Amino acid sequence: MALDVGKFIKAPEYDIKIITHRDVFQASACEEDRFSDECLELSALIVLDAAEMKRMSIQDGANVRLTSKWGSVVVRARASPREEQKGLGFMVNGPWVNAFVSDETPDGIPAFKDIEAKITISKDGITGIDELLLL
Amino acid sequence: MTEPITWTCTGCALLCEDIQVFIKDNRVEKVEHACLKGKARVYGCKHTAISTVDQKEVDVNNAISQAAKILERAKNPLLYGWSNSTSEAQVAGIELAQTLGACIDSTSSFCQGITISEIMNKNVPSCTLEDVKEKADVIIYWGADPMSSHPRHLSKYSYFPRGELRQRGYEEDRTAICIDVTESRTAKICKGLFFSIPPGGDAEFMRALMDGLAGRVPKLSYDFDVKRILELAAVLKKAEFGVIFAGLGLVYSIKEEFDLISKFMDTLNRFSNFFLIPMAGHFNMRGFNHNLHDETGFIHRVGFTKNGPVSGVEYSVLEQLKHGTDAVMVVGSDPLASLPLSISRRLKDIPLILVDPCSNLTSRVADVTIPCGVSGIEVGGTAIRMDGRKMDIFPIVEGDGLSDEIVVRRIMEEVS
Repeated sequence: MALDVGKFIKAPEYDIKIITHRDVFQASACEEDRFSDECLELSALIVLDAAEMKRMSIQDGANVRLTSKWGSVVVRARASPREEQKGLGFMVNGPWVNAFVSDETPDGIPAFKDIEAKITISKDGITGIDELLLL
Repeated sequence: MTEPITWTCTGCALLCEDIQVFIKDNRVEKVEHACLKGKARVYGCKHTAISTVDQKEVDVNNAISQAAKILERAKNPLLYGWSNSTSEAQVAGIELAQTLGACIDSTSSFCQGITISEIMNKNVPSCTLEDVKEKADVIIYWGADPMSSHPRHLSKYSYFPRGELRQRGYEEDRTAICIDVTESRTAKICKGLFFSIPPGGDAEFMRALMDGLAGRVPKLSYDFDVKRILELAAVLKKAEFGVIFAGLGLVYSIKEEFDLISKFMDTLNRFSNFFLIPMAGHFNMRGFNHNLHDETGFIHRVGFTKNGPVSGVEYSVLEQLKHGTDAVMVVGSDPLASLPLSISRRLKDIPLILVDPCSNLTSRVADVTIPCGVSGIEVGGTAIRMDGRKMDIFPIVEGDGLSDEIVVRRIMEEVS
């Protein structure tokens, strides 16, 4: 039997700064049903610069794992339709991005627009709500 | 088709008062003029909340009694949420916090509270959205993307409409400017006047702009064409009535030196006539700040102590969840969806009460859930718009449940 060497090779990790934002389509989908597939699809998503994705060998629509000291989740990666600044990723406000936001809040305000994380390609499925809440 | 009712939308803090709703058999049949968020609000959530204790369905009276017991037993309860409630419910919540000697805080604690405080303390000049519509000729969206967060902002008030002094509208009479880290949907509308800055680069950009206004050569540590800053300064100087819509991109970026905003506005207004409006999100976030200020002199993060109300970061929802509180009542919010999970997961370990019209992530772990009517759909009252204007909101259908104000007052009766 041939040995699948690939599974022993760790996918490369890259540093990324994540900025949260609002999206009217996600907001209305989640207002209607916070547990719907549409709310999940529009929330468990990171938007990246297309050239950066190419550099990191991340395909449009691929699953990626985002990890910080405070947590780790798998979300879908999408290419931005415009050129973005290097090293940035954009995620809509919600529990998926909140899973790895720092708990250090000396001024009572979380770093929602300055989240340092690692990004890597993942073969795992999108992180579910129960897993996020550790239920 | 029935005659439409003119409705004030509670989908966001714009509180659009021109929505047409068609009702048939006490159900919303059709909605006109509302944005996607407004429509989602008026049609309501798919999974409504049910009365529970320990995740088992109970009579609502039992749930209220259990909530009162939890709060009475707690040494340091926290009452949190409030931005999706009417002012009347907020006032009831403040009274309950006072009765319990509790902490009370709202989503403004980590949102636009800091900006609203500056405006309420008259450190920063502000104006109404009607002023913007009738008079504004230069509009800056700074760290804000209303096309995504407040979809009717540009069409109803800030850019597209004809106004008393702006009869030629956006085509000739208005100049829209966007300063942000990405070319947002709003930035796309500000053709040629989108200024892309790095994350955290707002304070430096603001100082550079102040230099430009004062006729000095701007200096920046990051790569940016200073000629464009000088051109922008010239546009701002010529404004007859300018307005800055401050989004969270700006607020979070300069929160550690927030007095820079008032310095910037002072500098700007030596040459021009500018006002600032915070891009508050939830429909009555600002109402909570005003109502709490009326009662305590503070806008958020309040603890009711033996010596009276006090305010500070240690009374903020986040610090309380991390270090202080031993029971939480959440009203009209979903902290497990909206706060860092490293902090909000603690809600699973302490007695938790949720008062909300809908099932949400927080209701999955709440010890007590009490359903309430949706403010602005089943419950009327008043609210304060993002610009500080008080608005009446009216119910359009009859709901089965109690209002959040009544729930809070019933809890108060049992606690007292």
